[in-house]
Amino acid sequence: MKKILSFIVFFIVLAALSGSVLAGQDVKIDDHQQFSDEAEENLENVSLYPIKFYQDYISSVDGNRCPMHPTCSQYCIEAFKKHGTFLGWIMCSDRLMRCGRDENKLSDPVWIDGKKRTYDPVSNNDFRRQ
Amino acid sequence: MQIRNTGLDYRRFIFVIICSLFIPFSQSFADSGSQGASALSITLNPDKQFNYAQELFSAKDYLTAVNEYKRFIYFFPKDERIELAMFQIGQSYFLGRQFDEAVKSFKKLTDRYFETEYSIKSYFKISDIYIALKALDLSLINLNNLIMITKDENIKDEAYYRIGWIYIETASWDNARLYFEKISPGNRNKFRLKKLADELDKETLIPQKDPKLAGFLSIIPGGGYLYCERYQDALIAFLLNGGLMYAAYESFDKGHGALGGLITFVGFGFYAGNIYGAVTSAHKFNRKETGQFIYKLKKNARVNLSADLENKGVLLSFRFSF
Repeated sequence: MKKILSFIVFFIVLAALSGSVLAGQDVKIDDHQQFSDEAEENLENVSLYPIKFYQDYISSVDGNRCPMHPTCSQYCIEAFKKHGTFLGWIMCSDRLMRCGRDENKLSDPVWIDGKKRTYDPVSNNDFRRQ
Repeated sequence: MQIRNTGLDYRRFIFVIICSLFIPFSQSFADSGSQGASALSITLNPDKQFNYAQELFSAKDYLTAVNEYKRFIYFFPKDERIELAMFQIGQSYFLGRQFDEAVKSFKKLTDRYFETEYSIKSYFKISDIYIALKALDLSLINLNNLIMITKDENIKDEAYYRIGWIYIETASWDNARLYFEKISPGNRNKFRLKKLADELDKETLIPQKDPKLAGFLSIIPGGGYLYCERYQDALIAFLLNGGLMYAAYESFDKGHGALGGLITFVGFGFYAGNIYGAVTSAHKFNRKETGQFIYKLKKNARVNLSADLENKGVLLSFRFSF
């Protein structure tokens, strides 16, 4: 019972933290005040390793099957670079959930290498763009 | 006492005679040389120069045309087509996709000429370029400047009409109405303002989704997507988040703290992503619906302004779908 309680408390804290997402990029500004630019850059680079590993060793063999443009992995890299690790991770997860279903009806199509893909860049999902 | 040397005088006389014999030949040589030079030189003629520039413009060789128009302006500064040449320079830059240079050229014209056919046209062109560059605020400033300097009601009305449409593009409906109302009663029919006002009033019917509500509903994974009419995404978000939550719970319950922590970390990303995605989906939904409304509004109620001027009047071309 104690474990369940600790799990619930942990998850509520996480859910509360995620509320900051609704407030746009304010959290990112605070992050920048706390960390130096160099440390932030290193953190971003480290968080990009798994994605780059995926692009270089898995996707190159598996083939580009993502129906979106930019592809999900590229979108994640751009999101991390543009919004930092915290928001980048959230945007990346969001994109993986949205990939190739209802987004196809909502966003504009674009032809890449003779294939029709759905155009959904990071800028289309920025709050500040609204 | 001077002793005259008659031999020397004689030789001088012969020398002068011989030289005088060559004088006509030297003149004829000089003439033939100058005639040859004139045959090789090109005489600039204002008509030929202007027509050549126009020909290059018609052939879509815009940047060469710019040079020829500039040559025309330099050599014939008093020609009556100087204003047209300046306007064509702006047009050439515009069509050659050098927008900054185009704006500079049109501004040069508006600085030099006041309330003439091409200066008014230039104001509208500058406004169009700023709209194409998405610099709507600069376009508004430019049109407001035109309204301030001109006394011609027709030109003012066209500027008001254009400003109204810029506000429509940004979904600022009230500002758009404000500027359309400034159009003088005499021109209201010309711009079909009655029909436009009726169509514009339908903006209240544009379906909208509240981003905050979408985010709030996402507390239950997929709820926000469901609200935004993204049913497949809602199902995926619900199943994925539900599965990760259950997996994290089971891991903690069975004493696998590290695994539980890892799953919770991943689950947090997807849970927060579900909220983030719902909020952006609401914004996207609103953007799309507003965009479709503006598209229909343009199609049904916009009077196309060609900005071609005859004398001082604005030439309008109408296109309506009934």
